[in-house]
Order: sequence, then C-alpha cells, then structure tokens
Amino acid sequence: MTPLRRDVVVTLILVVLAATVPYLTSTRYIVTQTTLFFIWAIVVTQWNLVLGVAGIFSLAQMALFAAGAYTTAMLGYYWGVPIALAMLAAAIIVVILSVIIGLACLRLRGPYVALLTLAIAQMLYLLIVNDTDCFTNPPSGCMPLFGGVRGISRFGDLGFRALLGSKWYIAHYYLGLVLLALAIIVSIVIIRGPLGLAFQALRDNPGYAMSRGISRFKYQLWVFAVSAFFTGLAGGFYAAQFAVVGPTVFSLSQLLLLLSMMVVGGLGRIWGPVLGALLLMLADEGVRELGDWRDIGLGLILILFVVLFRRGLTGAFEDLWRRLRPGKPLTAPGS
Amino acid sequence: MDVVIQIIASGLTLGAMYAVSTVGLSLVYGSLNMLNMAHGALLALGGYICFYTMTALGMPAIVGVLAAVAVCGLVGLLIYICTAAPMLGSAQFETGVFIATIGFGAIVENVILRMFGPQPQPQSLQIPGDIVIGHVHIPNQNVMILTVALVLMVAMALLLKRSRLGRAIRATAQNREAAQLMGVRVGWIYAAVLALSGGLAAISGIMVSSLYSLLPNMGGDPMLKAFIICIVAGLGNVTGAVIAAIALGLLEATLQYNLGVQYSFALLLFLVIIVLIWRPYGLFGRKQVVRL
Amino acid sequence: MGGALLRIDNVSAGYHGQDVLRGLSLTVEEGNLVAIVGPNGHGKTTMLRAISGLLRLTGGSIALGERRIDRLRPDQIVAAGVVHVPQGDMLFPEMTVLENLQMGAYLPTASARMAQRLEEVYTLLPKLKERHHQVASTLSGGERRMVGIGRGLMADARLLLLDEPSLGLAPIIIDQIYEVIAALRASGRTILLVEESAARVADKADRIHLLDHGEFVWSGAGPELMARPEILATYLGG
Repeated sequence: MTPLRRDVVVTLILVVLAATVPYLTSTRYIVTQTTLFFIWAIVVTQWNLVLGVAGIFSLAQMALFAAGAYTTAMLGYYWGVPIALAMLAAAIIVVILSVIIGLACLRLRGPYVALLTLAIAQMLYLLIVNDTDCFTNPPSGCMPLFGGVRGISRFGDLGFRALLGSKWYIAHYYLGLVLLALAIIVSIVIIRGPLGLAFQALRDNPGYAMSRGISRFKYQLWVFAVSAFFTGLAGGFYAAQFAVVGPTVFSLSQLLLLLSMMVVGGLGRIWGPVLGALLLMLADEGVRELGDWRDIGLGLILILFVVLFRRGLTGAFEDLWRRLRPGKPLTAPGS
Repeated sequence: MDVVIQIIASGLTLGAMYAVSTVGLSLVYGSLNMLNMAHGALLALGGYICFYTMTALGMPAIVGVLAAVAVCGLVGLLIYICTAAPMLGSAQFETGVFIATIGFGAIVENVILRMFGPQPQPQSLQIPGDIVIGHVHIPNQNVMILTVALVLMVAMALLLKRSRLGRAIRATAQNREAAQLMGVRVGWIYAAVLALSGGLAAISGIMVSSLYSLLPNMGGDPMLKAFIICIVAGLGNVTGAVIAAIALGLLEATLQYNLGVQYSFALLLFLVIIVLIWRPYGLFGRKQVVRL
Repeated sequence: MGGALLRIDNVSAGYHGQDVLRGLSLTVEEGNLVAIVGPNGHGKTTMLRAISGLLRLTGGSIALGERRIDRLRPDQIVAAGVVHVPQGDMLFPEMTVLENLQMGAYLPTASARMAQRLEEVYTLLPKLKERHHQVASTLSGGERRMVGIGRGLMADARLLLLDEPSLGLAPIIIDQIYEVIAALRASGRTILLVEESAARVADKADRIHLLDHGEFVWSGAGPELMARPEILATYLGG
C-alpha cells in the first residue's frame, strides 16, 4: 500500500471512530468541544501546509480564518444569504484574499513575510475594532459595519435547529468531522504529492530544484490558495457553530494556541497538527481552572517544544521508531 | 503654521520613541538573524517596573528608570539563553526563535497581567508643564522624551562606532566566522546585544506609557511599528532605522491630525504593506549586515 | 629553529557525517614554513578550519606546544596564538581597512599594543596605510588579500595559518603577496599555508605535504617535489 493510501485509510478509520463519539456520550459539552477541536484542527492542518511544508513564514492563517467567519456572518446578516451558501462563498473569498497575500509575499524572505502577514492581520483587527460609526441601528444598539467590538450575531444558521431541535449540535458535529476529514485528505494529497516533494526539494537543495524548473513562486501561490479554502470554510463553520463572530478571533491568545498545536504536534508532518490540536485541546480542558496561567503555560510549552522537540511529538515518535527498527529506509517527509 | 509646528513636535517625539526601541531590534536582527517577538513584552515590562519602583517602592524617577533598564536587560539575556542559544547554528533557527520568542513574550505579558491587573494605569514618570512656541504648547514630557532619545542615539552610535564592544558587534554581524577568528566570543556578543536591546526597550516602554498609559499588552503595537521601521529601512541598517523611525513618527502625527487616531495606524500599516510589495528588501535594505 | 610548535595527530574531520580528513598527522616546527598542497576539495581548507576550531574533530588531537587545542572554542584557540587567515579573506565588508585591522587586535594582549602593531603592519604593507579609511568592500582583490594578512598579523600569532593566499589574484599581485610571506618567514614566524599549486611554494617552504582525498600521499622538501614531475602530474596536474 502506498504511503498516501495508507494515510487515507488511517484518516477514514479515525473518522469512523470519531463518528461514534456522540453515541458514547450524552454530554453536550463534550460534543461541542470536540466540534471546536475539529475547527482548530482544520485550521492548523492547513496552516501547516504553508508554514511547515512550504516553509513560508506566514502568520496570516488566523486572519484568513477570521475573514471566513466575518464574511459568512455578514452575508447572512446583511443579505440574508443561507449560511451553507455563505460558508462556501466565504471560502472562495478567503482563497482570493489569500492569493493576494501570497502575491504580496512572493518576493519576500522569511521574517519579512511574518511581519507583512502580522501587519495585515493587525490592520484588519484595527479596522474592525476602531470603527465606531454606526452602519445600521437595529434595536439592539449601534452596529458598525463589521460589528465593532461586540461582533456580529443573529445572522442565521445552518438550519439544523429547525430540523433537529435541541440536537442540532450533533449534526454540526458530523458536519465538522466531514470537513476535517476532507481537510486532512487534502493535506495528505499535497504533502505526498508533487507539491510536497517540490517543497522538500526546495528545502533540501534550492539551487538544484530551481534549475530543474521547480518554480517556487508557482508552488507558493498554490499552497496559499489551497490552504485558504478550508481555512475560510472552517471560519464560516465557526460562525455557524457559535452564532456570534467578534474580534476575539484575532486575539494573540488564539494565535498562541494554534502555534502551540503545530509545534507540539510537529511542523511539516501530516499527523502533527491533528495530534497537536487534540493534545492541546485536552490540556486546555485540564487547565481551564487556571485562567491566567493558561497563556503562561502555552508560552512555556511553545518554548520547550521549539527548543527541545524541534520536530514535535510526531517527529520524536519517528525518531524513536527509527531507532527501534534499524535498517529501515527513511520514508518520505510527513510520514 | 501653528499646526505644522504641532505636528512636527508630536511627530519628532513619536519618532524619537520609536527610534529608541527600533535600534535594539535592528541590532538583534543584524547580528543574530533573530526576530525578537518578545520585544513588545519587554517594553511593557520596562514601563511597569518603573511604575512599580516609583509608586510601590516610593523611589525617585531615576531609580525607576535604572531599575527598569536593569530588569529588562536581564530579561533580554534570559531570552537569549532560553530561546536563541540552544538553537544557534541549527537550520530552523529563524523560525524556531521566532516562535519561541512569541511564547516568551506571552509569558512575560501574562505575568504582568497577573501582577498588575488588566486595567490601564497612568505612568508615574510625568513631567508637568509645557513650553510655548508661538501659539503652540509643547508638553515638557515630549521635550524630555526627545532629549533622552537623542542622548541615547548618540551614545549608541559612539558605542557601535568607537568602542571595542561595538566593533565586535558589528564584526559579528558582518561575518560571524571571521569574528570568531579574531578571538571574539560570539555567544557573549549575542547575549550583550540582547541585553542592550532589552534595556533600550525598557526606556522606550517608559516613554510610550508616559504618553499613553500602562497596559499589559501595550507593547504590541509599538513592537509592530518597530519591526515595520526596521523593515522599511532594511533589517540590520541601524542609521536607516533611526531615520525611518523619525519619518514614521512624522507621518503618524500627520495622519493622526487629519484622520484621527482611529485610522492612522491602519493606514500606516497599509502603506507599509504597499512599500514591502514594491521593495521586498526595504527601502534602503540590501544584505543583512549591521551598518552604521 | 625550535621544537614542534604544532602537532596534528591522527586527525579526522568532515561535514554532514562524512569525513573529509582521515587520520592525518603532521608537525610544524617552530620558525618553519610548512605548505599543504593538493587539488581543491580534498581537505586543505578543512584542515585549517579544524586547527582554528571552526570545525570539530571526529578523531585525533591537535596540540600547540604542550597544550591540546582541538576541544577549544575558536576564540580560545586565537588566544592561544593560532591565527587563521581564511580563504577568500572574510573581511568585514562594511568596515574600513583600519577597523578590520583593529579587529585583528581584538584580544586584550594585542589591543594593548594596538598602535605599535599598526605601525608594524603598515611598514610591511604600506598600501594598507594609504587606504586605511577605505571601506573593505570597495577594495581590489589584491588589496583585500593584504588586509586579510595584515589583520592576521595584528594578533599575537605564534602560528599563522594562511588559506590559499594566491587565490583569485593576478600573478603580479601573487608575487607581492609571496614577498610578504617570505619576509614573515625570514623574521622567524611559524607559518602553515595551503595552496592548490605547489609551484609557488616549492622554493619557499621548509616542508611540503601533498594532500589527496583526505590523506597525505607525499611529504618532503620543496626542491625534492619539483624534481619529481610524475608526482606533480598525478596529483597536481603538473
């Protein structure tokens, strides 16, 4: 079985396992938190493609996620677009946004990309938060165009509440699971496919790779575009799930959380982000009581993992595996 | 005319403040190839230490400032030891240090949050009164900031240009191996640069908080601005950074006057994005070496 | 002539897990000029980098006088008196000639006698005095080489390592460089230099070692080597 097929099979197995969760528990909280885990897992698997695989220092993922959420909410709020459609439209708009950002970053090197994307994210945040002019004036109070500090709510939902009543969150759970499965499969295909190999080549030996016609720019734009689709979709789904979208999606706390997920799991690896997302969500539950210490803990985790476990837990497992089975040939990256 | 003087006065003050923190950042990147994302947290730390020393411990301003500089210098050293030193020479140094310093900055900010709470506090280091030019009132605070910044810039320039340490820093930035072959212990140079950067951040933080107020996350925007200035000048170009800082200050003052504080930063960022797209290595940037 | 100043014993070193040098041994007598020659890529520069500490050994040891230096940091090795003038000069591009020279005397023992050192270097290399305020990146190839060597002389060097002093220079300039080297030799300096071609060093070196694929295949005095054209042809292409 090729590595690619093996990974897809693993994905399907995990999906089946995850599908049983709503039947194993009657606690709504567990199901909704797992749905949140799905959302973050989608975002980090896609961010992993840009940061870990393509090696592009982009911090734009959160902004793209937020753009997806905001677009969905605004389409629903201002134009009454059905949320399912709004999510798709948002995903497409986010892809376009991402390609524009990608174009801007094309000629930039490492840290410049980080700062450019940070600047873009911050600019969007400021535009939203500082806009105090009332665009509309519904009974609930002054509503700036982008919702301002309070955010946008009451923009409609996916219709499961009407269909299933109080069990709507289960339908959301499965939708989230499906989206995650698709996102993972996309990331597997990319990492195992020509794009992944091209980036590996560009990392290992850029001069040779480019002389063989591997165009860094073209592949970079592809990565920006593809990773944006599910990120935007995840954002839209987040909006549908929580029924309110505010500037907190831009917060440093969130960025920290997602970064930690990738670093702990393993940058550039296929299963790294998912593993990291799972572990961090569990850890987050565990330290929920500790409030302020959460970010301190995340900061410590980040430092520890970056310095000690550079390739994350999946990387550490791989090393262990390799040591236990000497003589096994090195497999392709992200295995 | 009065308006112009007002804008220039504000702009120079802002620019001076930014220049102080930017120089440190530029040095760190120029010598270490390191983007210190904990820089903003150091700014905040400096402001709070000064505040604490003056209010809770009842010390005079000068002690407050020295305490802030000392603490932040030490924390800068700590940042080097915890994040950069372990990864020196590895292939993923830049990314790794970037992420690790984000973590470090989050820790510092949250410690501040725990100790001082989330409410804004006014900075104790204030100089009342103002000087009058024509019909324009320029707060003494601003004049002090400008003076201190000027003195610091001159001191830094002298340090880098004339002193043995300064030469070693520049040499390490321009060619690390060659510097080693001259007998320079580069690990210590890196540590010195980060400590220096910490001290400068402390002073900048005190300045910023004296104009606005103390908040645990107050360092975020000034840090972003400092990075922007570095980028526009070309990372590692120290003189260019000072010039760009002043230019940015003036630009910001103009935008604030015309558009209000709300949108000025957003517009500023937008302009920077445009600049970066047009000139990927910054307006004056070439290679990454520390030039004076 | 003193005893052995530098003792290299069964040394191995390399990059990315591959050894370039394999079990090499070499001594340099005090006051001698020893040359290592051989085709490019066979380990000459690697050898010098191993001595100056830029490269870790995977085996063997290196001693300067009585003291073992192979485990030391590069800056400690410089302090012990080994000065490496690297291949391609590695000048500090944005610094002036003077500042480059000043960096050469970075260590406290040397910097205490900075003025005196500068005078000595300017006497040996007058061109440098002429151009002392010029930024290094604007110098010509030959001038850069001289700055590199001058910089190396600013320190308290017991042993001078010269990596391909003739690299990339016009023959006339190479002549000048080798005049300087000969003057250094005459004043009693201990020098270990590497070159690709044996011709330049044959009449000046007290001893020549031929390095091929990480191993010494021949050692002897300069004139001996020139008298063995078959060796020259096999390893050095004539």
